[in-house]
Amino acid sequence: MVRAGLGTRGKLERGPRPYATALPPASVVAASALAILPIVTQLGWYPDFGFVMLIAWRLLRGDVWPAWWAAPLGFANDLLTASPIGLSVSLWTAAMLALDLSDRRTMWRDYWVEWALAVALIAVGEWAHWKIAALMGAPTELRSIAPRVIIAALCFPLAAWAVARIDRWRLGR
Amino acid sequence: MAPPLGARPGWSRRAQYSLFFSFLLALASLAVGLIMLAMSLVAPASYNVVRGAALDATAPVTGALSEVVTTIRGLGSGAGNYWDAARQNGKLKAQRARMFRRMIEAKAIAQENRQLKAALQLRERSERAVASGRIVGSSFESLRRFAVLSVGTSDGVRAGMPVRAPDGLIGRVVDAGTMASRVLLISDRANIVPARILRNGMAAISTGRGDGTVDLRPLEVGRNPFRRGDIVVTSGTGGLYPPLVPIARVVRLDDDGAIAVPLADPSDASFAVVEAPYERAAIEAAKEAR
Repeated sequence: MVRAGLGTRGKLERGPRPYATALPPASVVAASALAILPIVTQLGWYPDFGFVMLIAWRLLRGDVWPAWWAAPLGFANDLLTASPIGLSVSLWTAAMLALDLSDRRTMWRDYWVEWALAVALIAVGEWAHWKIAALMGAPTELRSIAPRVIIAALCFPLAAWAVARIDRWRLGR
Repeated sequence: MAPPLGARPGWSRRAQYSLFFSFLLALASLAVGLIMLAMSLVAPASYNVVRGAALDATAPVTGALSEVVTTIRGLGSGAGNYWDAARQNGKLKAQRARMFRRMIEAKAIAQENRQLKAALQLRERSERAVASGRIVGSSFESLRRFAVLSVGTSDGVRAGMPVRAPDGLIGRVVDAGTMASRVLLISDRANIVPARILRNGMAAISTGRGDGTVDLRPLEVGRNPFRRGDIVVTSGTGGLYPPLVPIARVVRLDDDGAIAVPLADPSDASFAVVEAPYERAAIEAAKEAR
């Protein structure tokens, strides 16, 4: 601890930022808000950025927020991405509870296990979106969600990297 | 990595209780979320106000960003045009001459058409444009195909109204905020458009496929009536979409129908026009169906 003071300047008096607890949810809302970018495409292959970010935060830290915070975040996502209201609310809360369960069951975790968990949650989420779209009068073939799942799975490492950077910054490390 | 300690945060009763109550709260919010989802399935109209407000809050940002993107793209293509001016000029002149000949032909046909119609005493229905706006965003994160249009209820737009671009049909309004509205594109699976083949007038049904193309099925079972390159237009059946608006061009045939590409590309169309429903009763029906 003393040696830290001898290092480069700025190492002393570092600590969490004053709004450190609000930063993770804010970053999830910001990721959801990517949906308002002026991109007009006929292919909906972009991932659900908010969901990927949420999973990345939760996998990095089990105590980043209480599980129920996922509900208001999901509501914001529903409004920003114009998905059926209530879908992300229930899906995101269920994902938090599922990860709580998996935390108790898994003996160890490494990067690959985290990625596999994320891909499983993303796939289940896409399936739920597909099912609800079918119930709302837009049934498509199940394989139409495959490219979305693959792209979201490939986006997860990016989200995990971004989340790790934000986490280090917010905690002043 | 050390195994996580599980949900028990230590010996502090306070920490244990707060964990337990947050778990209960998570279960409660899961239930609330499911109820909200059930409501948006059964009675989607109950969220109209919330969705409209969200649209109003986000669409100005989308509109402003889209303005910036259009400007940058315009600078790029403007410079490109200048670079290639001489060759382009020659091409355009040739094109103009061609168009001029076609125009004269068309004028003659229009005159003939007028005379024939007068003979038949057909009444012309005038198209009733309600508002025109720009397409500023789309649901690029979703399986559904929606676009955001920069006009809303303050311009007279209501849910259920058809939207078209100069090139062809875009879709119909499903959510209307004060300043912006959300359009269900014809390439969405839930958008079914009564259509007919321009070449021979045979009735067909156009359904979106969710990937930017539409699926065409003939109403009469039998030989596949489509050919590659066929143009399909709205038939006006059902009263929502006005007749004779171009929908799509056939690109591929399958066993009893065809796959077609919409003629109006929402990402390309600079303006979209919202029209009043062809028949008044259709708007109510469209509201119910949603």
